[in-house]
Amino acid sequence: MNGQSLFALLPLSILGIGSVVLLLGGAFVPSAGRKSLTLIGAVIALLSAFAAATYSPEVTDVAGFVSVAGFGRLITALAGIVAFLSLFLSTGYTGRRPLGMEEYPSLALFAAFGMALLGSAISLLGVFLGLESMTLALYILLASNRSDPLSGEAGLKYLILGAASTAFFAFGLSLIYFATGTLSVQESMRGLVSSGGLGPLGMAGWAMLLVGFGFKVSVFPFHLWAPDVYEGGPAPVVAILSTGSKTAAFAAFLRFALASTDGWGSLVPVLWAMAALTMAYGNIAALTQDNVKRLLANSSIAQMGYVLVALIAAPVSGGTYAVFYLIAYTAMDLGAFGVVAAFSGKDRDLGDIESLRGLGFVHPFRSLVLAACFISLAGLPPTVGFIGKFGIFYSAVKAGYVYLAVIGIMTAIISVYYYLRVVVYLYMRPIEESPSPAAQAHVMPRLDMAGAFALAVVLAAIVTLGVLPGWALNLVASVTGNGAL
Amino acid sequence: MLNASLTFLLFMPLAAGVSMLFEKDDRVVRWISLLITSAALGISLMFFFALSPSYFSFGRWLLHVDIPWIDSFGAHYSLGLDGISLVLVVLSTLLFMLSVLASWHAVRERVAFFHAMLLVMETGVLGVFLATDLFLFYLFWELMLIPMFFLIGVWGHGRRVYSAVKFLIYTISGSLLMLLAIIGLYVIHGRQTGQYTFALDALTGTQVSPTVGLWLFAAFLIGFAVKVPLFPLHSWLPDAHTDAPTAGSVILAGILLKTGTYGLLRFGFPLFPQAAAVFLPVIFSVCLIGLFYASWIAYAQQDIKRLVAYSSISHLALVVLGIAVWNDAALAGSVLQMVNHGITTGALFIMVGMMDERAHTRDINAFGGIWSKAPALSAFLLLFILSSLGLPGLNNFAGEFLILVGVFRAHPYLAAAAFAGIVTTLIYLLRLAQKVLFGPASHDGEFRDLSFRETAILLPLAALVLIIGLYPNIILRKIEGPVRGLTTIVVKAAPSGGGRLP
Repeated sequence: MNGQSLFALLPLSILGIGSVVLLLGGAFVPSAGRKSLTLIGAVIALLSAFAAATYSPEVTDVAGFVSVAGFGRLITALAGIVAFLSLFLSTGYTGRRPLGMEEYPSLALFAAFGMALLGSAISLLGVFLGLESMTLALYILLASNRSDPLSGEAGLKYLILGAASTAFFAFGLSLIYFATGTLSVQESMRGLVSSGGLGPLGMAGWAMLLVGFGFKVSVFPFHLWAPDVYEGGPAPVVAILSTGSKTAAFAAFLRFALASTDGWGSLVPVLWAMAALTMAYGNIAALTQDNVKRLLANSSIAQMGYVLVALIAAPVSGGTYAVFYLIAYTAMDLGAFGVVAAFSGKDRDLGDIESLRGLGFVHPFRSLVLAACFISLAGLPPTVGFIGKFGIFYSAVKAGYVYLAVIGIMTAIISVYYYLRVVVYLYMRPIEESPSPAAQAHVMPRLDMAGAFALAVVLAAIVTLGVLPGWALNLVASVTGNGAL
Repeated sequence: MLNASLTFLLFMPLAAGVSMLFEKDDRVVRWISLLITSAALGISLMFFFALSPSYFSFGRWLLHVDIPWIDSFGAHYSLGLDGISLVLVVLSTLLFMLSVLASWHAVRERVAFFHAMLLVMETGVLGVFLATDLFLFYLFWELMLIPMFFLIGVWGHGRRVYSAVKFLIYTISGSLLMLLAIIGLYVIHGRQTGQYTFALDALTGTQVSPTVGLWLFAAFLIGFAVKVPLFPLHSWLPDAHTDAPTAGSVILAGILLKTGTYGLLRFGFPLFPQAAAVFLPVIFSVCLIGLFYASWIAYAQQDIKRLVAYSSISHLALVVLGIAVWNDAALAGSVLQMVNHGITTGALFIMVGMMDERAHTRDINAFGGIWSKAPALSAFLLLFILSSLGLPGLNNFAGEFLILVGVFRAHPYLAAAAFAGIVTTLIYLLRLAQKVLFGPASHDGEFRDLSFRETAILLPLAALVLIIGLYPNIILRKIEGPVRGLTTIVVKAAPSGGGRLP
């Protein structure tokens, strides 16, 4: 490892070292000043994203462990931005809650470090380390609201199921290492292919990997944890869990998938069924949810089904649309959870959909952002969600998975209903008609500057990428297309 | 210069709508909206009168803009104005301006938001009539849904949320199916030519295998038929109309329904002529059923607004019939009838709104003998009712006559049945006129006659009813070139022998 490759690790190091410095240094900061550590953490995350976005020259192989080039840089920048925005969205929230001294921003940075590593790793070990450092930080963050038993429950559920899925994942990695004798993602994936399909060990290894990935990105049948964890976890933490962690896991998944397209045919039937069931289950389950966070959890399950469709098609039509949709989804879900956090009072997170009643004309900005996020999640133009969904269905049809596209369209129609239900509550159900006007009378917390800024960024991203997506699509295509991975 | 003004016309309402979203002063909002919609009407009238008819032929758009937009999809920002789009653009800008006027006193809450939605929808509607790139078309197609959803859901009456959601779910289901068909056609064309594009002109010649063509056309047909709406897919319309505010009903009936028929003649039939030929029996039957069925239901309505809503279904069924036989006369009649229906039904909805503001009811039995109390209002109402039932000398007669001539040329029996269907509209419309205008006065209270603002709204519409009725050439001259262009490309694309359109 020479000096240049060490320097190439700068974006990752900023996140990792920043996390440790915040944790250790925070202890010496007088408790009155500790709230500002959240903002310092956000700045560190932004620095890392900036470093990843501007870094050159690219180094595709640092000690056979990570690649600081195209795709890795994109995911690192995305992880940094997710951490930055979610910390900005947290400032008001943590001010009202007994969480968020120095460990809160430190762990968020550490989670972002894990995501960045996961997206950049080119070695099986690197992938495992990334996955684990990301989830470890999230276990703690989810349970960090010590006064709320639901938060503890969320942390525990995620921990137990996560540990089980990690065991599967590690076993899958060791099977693959056993079969191929190499730790490089690219070489090991190629080594698994024999005579145009996967060998028995390859199948077994991939099966285990699918369990691990499936759990992290919550696709059917590994989705059951999502609603409880989403409901119990603090909203800004769930924002990271739902966007950054799933994006990074999918990024690694994509790297595995594109490493060798020859064996992909053996996996397609399983993935096809998983995608179809995920879209159907997520969207149908979300129909009956009255709790906004549970609704978003089921919506998130369904959205991952759409990404899976693009992933299945990736060896034929490129991973561009999967990654673009992940970016779109990151913006939409960050916005949605950001508004949920901004509407969450001292005691509990925003829960019942009833509590959104009539907010559209009382808190116009936050409601506008929430409505834009939901309209975008429903895939209606002129938002980024439409461009993303278009890309998904386009890549599916182009790769020949027409039925999958039809199922996707059908389930998208179902999803319109529950996404717009939220918009209906915001704008079309006046507060006076509430079944319990007394409960409605409670005052929503004020929106602080940092939160407002983060929400404005999200709104701008949703609309801009929805109207002028060209440059972003080209950027993503340049780092995912034509064997760039 | 004129090409740039097309873009200006398209985005001016959107820009104005978004920028006044948070304006507090209602008067400012109303006047700015009136100014913007009038300016849009002015620009489109300038197109109407300034551009000479010799331009009008297919393939030579009167005005055309084409700029690469999303290069990874091959989508272009591509607008084209020909005679058909032109008359529909003029109709839209006129009705939007009148809607602003009609909401002057009727809308008192959340005024800025209301007008912002109206203006955003204007951009969506104009975009639909102007786009010549399927991706761009789809974007505008859905852009007009969300504002209408808000108009019904926030400012509507009765079961407004139910109606708004029903409207949205119906139309989105149809349009998402259409999206899938657009993608399918795009991929097929891309595979054949190696050039991935959404340009209508390029896609028109695509050779699609018969089975695939059937599926793709079916998806387009459903997408557009929901919007028209054709018979089995119509059930959102009475609810949406009844519960929408007056401006919403005017836009919905006057313009949004036309986007469905416009889509059929601009995209559906030209893209898949062979598949369309196979579907003709289905289309003919649903149109005929729609004609009779909607009249029958309309006769049973107590709510005047619902009655007018059902009359739209029957009128639009005739328009689709004219499109489906696809010859010069019928197609020209259909386009003319699209304009006529926009004028007449728009006017009827505005008048129902005025009567509702006075009597606070729309029950047909609550009115009676209003001629003696409000003669001017009654005279206008009678004029529009007569226009709607196709009295010779008024606008609808010209359109219906042309459609019948065209249909007769292709299928005489079909024309006879359609004629019988038109006659049924007489029954419920005359019942409406008789109950409301004449007979004993059942409404005790005061019933104001038209105010100056209301007369100003109705006068241009009444003038158009007469002008188009007496001199339909003012519209027909603009559309005959493009109509001939459309009929020739479809006949050219269809192979000789089986599978031809009649």
